[in-house]
Amino acid sequence: MRADEMRYSLQNLVHRKTRSFLTVLSILIGVMAIYALISFGLGINNYVNTLADEAGASMLFLMSKGAAAPGMDTNFYVTGADLDFVERINGVSQATGMYMGVGEIVSGKEKAYNFIAGLDPDSIDFIDRAMTVKVDKGRNLEDGDMNNVVLGYNYLLDDKIFKRGLRLGERVEINGEPFSIVGFYEEVGNPQDDGNVYLSFDMFESMFPDKADKFGYALIEADKGTDPEGLAKTIEDKLRKRRGEDVGKESFYVQTYADLLETFGTVIDVIVGMLILIALISVVVASVNIMNTMYTAVLERTKEIGIMKAIGARNEDILFIFIFEAGVLGMIGGVLGVLSGYLVSSAAGAIAAAVGYSALQPIFPWYLSAGCILFAFVVGAGSGVLPAMQASRQQPVDALRYE
Amino acid sequence: MLKDYLLMSLANITRRRLRSWLTMLGIFIGIAAVVGLIGLGEGLRTAISAQFGFLGTDVLSVRAQGLDFAGPPGIGVVEPLTEDLIKPIEGVNGVEAVIPRYVESGTLEFNDVQGIGYAMSMPGGKNRKLVETMINMKVVQGRLLKEGDTYLVLLGNNFLSSDAFGKPINAGDRVLISGRPFEVVGIMEKKGSFLFDNIVVMEEDVMLDLFRNGSRDDINILGVKVQDVSRMDRVKEDIEKVLRKERSVKKGEEDFTVESPQNAIESLNSTLFAIQLFVYIIASISLVVGGIGITNTMYTAVLERTREIGIMKAIGAKNSVIFSLFAIESGLMGMVGGLIGILLGMLLAYGGAAAGRAAFGFDLIQANVSPMLILGALIFSFVIGLSAGIVPALQASRMQPVDALRFVK
Repeated sequence: MRADEMRYSLQNLVHRKTRSFLTVLSILIGVMAIYALISFGLGINNYVNTLADEAGASMLFLMSKGAAAPGMDTNFYVTGADLDFVERINGVSQATGMYMGVGEIVSGKEKAYNFIAGLDPDSIDFIDRAMTVKVDKGRNLEDGDMNNVVLGYNYLLDDKIFKRGLRLGERVEINGEPFSIVGFYEEVGNPQDDGNVYLSFDMFESMFPDKADKFGYALIEADKGTDPEGLAKTIEDKLRKRRGEDVGKESFYVQTYADLLETFGTVIDVIVGMLILIALISVVVASVNIMNTMYTAVLERTKEIGIMKAIGARNEDILFIFIFEAGVLGMIGGVLGVLSGYLVSSAAGAIAAAVGYSALQPIFPWYLSAGCILFAFVVGAGSGVLPAMQASRQQPVDALRYE
Repeated sequence: MLKDYLLMSLANITRRRLRSWLTMLGIFIGIAAVVGLIGLGEGLRTAISAQFGFLGTDVLSVRAQGLDFAGPPGIGVVEPLTEDLIKPIEGVNGVEAVIPRYVESGTLEFNDVQGIGYAMSMPGGKNRKLVETMINMKVVQGRLLKEGDTYLVLLGNNFLSSDAFGKPINAGDRVLISGRPFEVVGIMEKKGSFLFDNIVVMEEDVMLDLFRNGSRDDINILGVKVQDVSRMDRVKEDIEKVLRKERSVKKGEEDFTVESPQNAIESLNSTLFAIQLFVYIIASISLVVGGIGITNTMYTAVLERTREIGIMKAIGAKNSVIFSLFAIESGLMGMVGGLIGILLGMLLAYGGAAAGRAAFGFDLIQANVSPMLILGALIFSFVIGLSAGIVPALQASRMQPVDALRFVK
């Protein structure tokens, strides 16, 4: 071990306190930004993965094409007969259509605009399983529920959708029709889904007669042991023939839940990646700072280097001393950066939850912290290489003579 | 006097060349990132804003209320706008014309390939000319639509320039729109807007007959041309009053919105600005780090020159002189770093914009490094350098001459 060299390096760092502190600060800031960004990126990925696990790999979506939000483009749709047909395909366990519309929800003098989903009360268990949510206050929609409504989580809260949160049994008006609230869904974690309004098929059809039998999308569950990817292809082939559409000219598509989440995950990864790249610039700048500090240190200690060499220090000993010194600077910055990054992320996560994105939470796995600290050490040591080489190659005589 | 300070600072910077370069490197990487991102961001914002200019600039838009993010105007509304609203709005003082616009989604088939998109209606009569000037419609092939153009459509530029259909669609080609045969009468100029470059324009009567059973209700958006743009706000209020009466809603409970183009762009801009700001903040972190680097270098410089400071003080230099000397030196380092950073940043912005245009074919992605931005970045980098140097300069100026002279390295 090079215990002596290490002790000597550490002593030197302590000796020039201000300079070491500033150098550490510069790398700390960069590591903090990167740690915070990655912890959010991982958190989102983690959330997406739990969704995929919970909903099971056996879920598929049948969506109509069209250029608006799902279910809003009335020129493209899936019919009940299509779904009956799909349910009879080998490997399909069940299928249910979802209506989508927009509603004006009035409570007292306030009003809000949100999506209305029309659900089949007979398939409610299946829908809850597919969407990984359930009603946790009141009850689910049932057959014959006409003027009863189930609302998203945010309607319960004060100052979210309405000034005062709604309660079970209260009355609201939706597109002019009176409703009584029979249930609330649990929190999903984003303001869109938590603002949804759920009606039974019958009520939806009577409120939106134009949309009757025109589903925006449908949920399909594969039989146990059936490969969902293969089933998606089969459904696409058979439904295309049934609807008399040509290959490549379908007005619908079938996607597995896993695919859907993967697409979403990829988009998030790209965004987080871009931000990390920008944050990396500050690490580059910090590495330049370390290099600068080390050049100064080499210059200051020229005489010392000469003496060490004169009493037998080899080039590699000198090299080690300076690289180790730079690496320690980086590592201290890394440790402090991880700590402050943890604080920043936790605070940002709390803010995100407060504005309705409780699904957007950072996670802090041990390998992220370890990786960031290691990265900071490597950056530090790497920045020290050039100055250390300069130090190690000095001629003892010249170095001793240096003023 | 100031000249002497400057010369001396410069001499000191050039004396320790490597260290100065490294210090400035920190600043110029940071400034380059910020200037590049801002220069590109402005251009991107212009490009994105242009995507939403559904109507021209001196036109108020009336929409029914609903969910904005459900799709194009008119999709996802609760109480659609109806034809009987047109007359009352026309009666409002200062209104020149009221133009209902219909948007319909559908398929377009050509060369055995099918795409899904939007068709927009073209009104007849005097409103045709208005719409054409409002959105500055020009063709690169064929001609614009005219009265009686049944089964003829005008297409956006992307149908000609992109290979989404395997080969370009030219004026004179036949296409199937939602299963019905149409002939392409012309191709419009490139607008740089996703909406307009991908749109199918069709005579209003043809669209309503074929796709809406002749119904004129369910208007997606109403454009209201105002006679005098300076009185736009007044006209807007009057229209709101009339619509409240027509749709029998109370003030504050409107189920419609009347928006001037400025409103629309402003609300979009504030969202985009928030995103930009976040990116700038992350980019600015590198500037803070660069500033710390300057502080560090200046501390070293003060330490190195302790004896010099002692000598200067001994021959009569006041504290303020020593302070200015070091403050100017660090400010100068910031500014020179900033200057190089600005040049690099411009390279980044213009290069990035050119790459973006090549990749997406959007002419509107323009880098815009304004003189204000350059000046701002220069002042900013000087201020960073200066403030980074304040504490070391203070330390230098407060030294006791005797102690400083006695100092040995």
